[in-house]
Amino acid sequence: MRPVSRIAAFLVAWSLLALASQSPGQVYQGKELVKAELLADTSAIVPGKPFTVGLLLRMAPHWHTYWAFSGDAGLPTELKWKLPSGWKVGEIEWPIPLKTIDPGDIETYGYENEVLLMQEITPPRKLDDSTVKLAAEANWLVCEKICIPGSATPQLELPISTTSQPANSELFARYRHLLPQNWPGSNVASASWSRVGRDLRLKITSESLAKYPALDFFPLPGPDVVVGHPTIESHNTNEVILRVPIESSEKNLASMAGLVVFSQQANSEDRAAWRISVAPTISAAKAAPPARGIFTFLFFGFLGGIILNLMPCVLPVISLKIFGFIQQAGQSRRKILRSGIAFTVGIFAWFVGLALLLVALKSGGRDVTWGGFQFTNAYFVLALSVIVLVFALNLFGVFEISLPQGMTRGLLSTTERKDDLGSFFQGVFATVLATPCTAPFLGTALGFAFSQSVVVILAMFFAIAAGMSAPYLLLSAQPAWLRFLPQPGAWMLHVKQFMGFLLLATLLFLLYVLGAQRGLEGAIWASCFLLVISIACWMKGAFVLPTASAAKRAVVFVLMFALIVGSGIYFIGGKFRSSNLALTDSRLRGDWQAFTPERLQAELDQGHSVFVDFTAAWCITCKFNEANVLENSEVREAFRRHAIVKLKADWTNGDPAITKLLQQFGRPGVPLYVLYPGKNEEPIVFPEVLTKGMVLEKLQTAASRVAAQ
Amino acid sequence: MNKKVTLTVFTSLIATAIFALEPPPVGSAAPDFSLPDAKGQEHSLAQYKGKYVVLEWFNPECPFVKKHYGSDNMQKLQKEYTDKGVVWLTIDSNAPGTEGNLTPEQAQKITTSWKTHETALLLDPDGKVGQAYGSKNTPNMVIISPDGKIVYHGAIDSKATPNPADIPSSTNYVKAALDQSLAGKSISTPQTKPYGCSVKYKSS
Repeated sequence: MRPVSRIAAFLVAWSLLALASQSPGQVYQGKELVKAELLADTSAIVPGKPFTVGLLLRMAPHWHTYWAFSGDAGLPTELKWKLPSGWKVGEIEWPIPLKTIDPGDIETYGYENEVLLMQEITPPRKLDDSTVKLAAEANWLVCEKICIPGSATPQLELPISTTSQPANSELFARYRHLLPQNWPGSNVASASWSRVGRDLRLKITSESLAKYPALDFFPLPGPDVVVGHPTIESHNTNEVILRVPIESSEKNLASMAGLVVFSQQANSEDRAAWRISVAPTISAAKAAPPARGIFTFLFFGFLGGIILNLMPCVLPVISLKIFGFIQQAGQSRRKILRSGIAFTVGIFAWFVGLALLLVALKSGGRDVTWGGFQFTNAYFVLALSVIVLVFALNLFGVFEISLPQGMTRGLLSTTERKDDLGSFFQGVFATVLATPCTAPFLGTALGFAFSQSVVVILAMFFAIAAGMSAPYLLLSAQPAWLRFLPQPGAWMLHVKQFMGFLLLATLLFLLYVLGAQRGLEGAIWASCFLLVISIACWMKGAFVLPTASAAKRAVVFVLMFALIVGSGIYFIGGKFRSSNLALTDSRLRGDWQAFTPERLQAELDQGHSVFVDFTAAWCITCKFNEANVLENSEVREAFRRHAIVKLKADWTNGDPAITKLLQQFGRPGVPLYVLYPGKNEEPIVFPEVLTKGMVLEKLQTAASRVAAQ
Repeated sequence: MNKKVTLTVFTSLIATAIFALEPPPVGSAAPDFSLPDAKGQEHSLAQYKGKYVVLEWFNPECPFVKKHYGSDNMQKLQKEYTDKGVVWLTIDSNAPGTEGNLTPEQAQKITTSWKTHETALLLDPDGKVGQAYGSKNTPNMVIISPDGKIVYHGAIDSKATPNPADIPSSTNYVKAALDQSLAGKSISTPQTKPYGCSVKYKSS
């Protein structure tokens, strides 16, 4: 051999070695059952550029390995990658399997002769070595009449280069052709799920699909779901109904991921499939809220109402009320009870009013959600700031609240009733402040209520109102308990003033929210308006005295009115309104990326796991979870290690795309934490209050679920 | 034959066929059966009324069955609960000529050499009992309550692999269900997806 050809021969041998350096296999009783090999669709690795690697399993004739869901028997093939750090690997892309029916009605999904299980690998942007060795531990079960577990650790060595050529094109093209496609647009096909007893029914309306004589649904059930054999219930010219029996007791299961497989003949080489996913943004099927009994939800509403009393945003008002009770302790029993009832009526009035408003908006087709409906609106926050400030100034003694005499005369005939009206408004005020505190109980209860009829929504709000007012009603009906409260005295004035500071703290929080919504400028203009309001309050306290002449009072009132209206027009109507919506991106810190539905879909399409943090500047629970759990170094490291993409969905300004997604998860507000392990995997919803241990554990399970695919 | 009788027979046949397709769900009455053990003695479900009965589908050639017998896991489970008065019936529903089908002699031999502790190893070569229970795997586990209801159907444990090393870290559903039942509590996981080899039924 001439030296040149010897070198050429060496090069050919080397490159063959590089492409398929090893093909370990499984030998059983002297017969090779499965040959495993790793192949890439590229001749070289270009840093940062994703490429596809396939595990090629070649089975002896009549032996088969299994699909992601193996059916009644068998096990899916597993791949565990041993990649250097910084490398990312997507999910296995499973070709459409063959369905085998064995005696005894045993259905399995698998592959005969040969299969290529593809996975996308993304190398880091910077690579220093000249070659890279990729290795994966493959575990499979291969069956003919008997089943034998097998495993191998095939390797693949590839050069690193700035350019690359396609490799193994024919093989990859053949198996890519056998991959299921995404669900087509609604003009081609639409799918809807329903639950009939123990069965799921999948209705597909599609003329192009109904043409195929061989149609089937290959299920991809969740880990705890036992699924029976899907069957075709009816097959018309433009509509197919499939029945998927659920044998386990998941009563709330409303849909299932899987493939709608169609061809001229079952199991033929030209089979094609559309993927049905249960992920919210893409699926035609919508996750229905859990169908729990209405009384359970009303009970949770009641419980949530009681818990509202403990929320930081209501606490100052509650103290106010308790303080009122102390003041009344010397009064007659009847008076106290009346005041308690008035307070309760105030609470009910707000909730019923809110319910009616929601019903009206709901029927108007607007997206309305709890807390967010109000708190995503900067003017609502501003109005609340004004109320809080005025109350604080009142507590400080800057002015006393007295109703205009005409109104008092018109509405009330006795001074007693004036107290009741005060209690009534205190009740209203306490509930206004309570709305953003979506306690976990309330979340479920309201999520349920919003998808319900008007009557149910009203009943739900009544239950919450009843829960919230129960303690006061009890206290006012049982004044014996009030007797345990301390005697009135000078200390009361100090407590009252201190409460004022609590309200100011609430005001700071509201200004923070305004800042998050309208930027620093917006918050400053709002503060200017608040300053003018303070001056107006001071004027009222200083000059509108009962001793002052009617003319003087009138002049002061006109001045106050002019100040408020003038500054309102200037600061709020002008400056505040034109202050820009704060850009959400500018607030993203660390390794978080801004959420959009398209972004989520794109990341999932690339085979990444995605964690979405639905948050808002005004959501204290969100801030707490972020500071103590999500930004914890251990948790951050876990996200990095599992290569989970972190997206932040900022709902501070009520982004409608996010509102829609929240509703799909049956949630009326934030926080919401969702982990999408993969495109075909059911998303994992986290509880509203996170702990470090729980997040670490869920990330681990999700990662192993993806790895097990 | 009278036309009406023919119709009745026909409809009941259809009913049976439909019923056979759908395994009896957890909570329903366990279908009665009578099968011979390796020595030819008949065992019926009815005769064990009043006791908890475990049905275990068996195939000595199946790697998933070997996982639990090779590690002594199944024998320990059988011993523990038969000592507590539970009836443990191991059933071989594999058809003659398939992998795992046992003749009475082979059945006797395997119980000795594998040191098993079941109440009886029953032979179901025509697969009728296996199919009546919708049993598709080996191992597949069914627990029947003293009043004759199916209270558990599914896998032996939580890790669907043929690897014995996974046994210590998995949750044994059968053990949990039996412990809960014997303590008078309700079973927290009454149904799981069984894993393993398929039962090699006779072609019909």
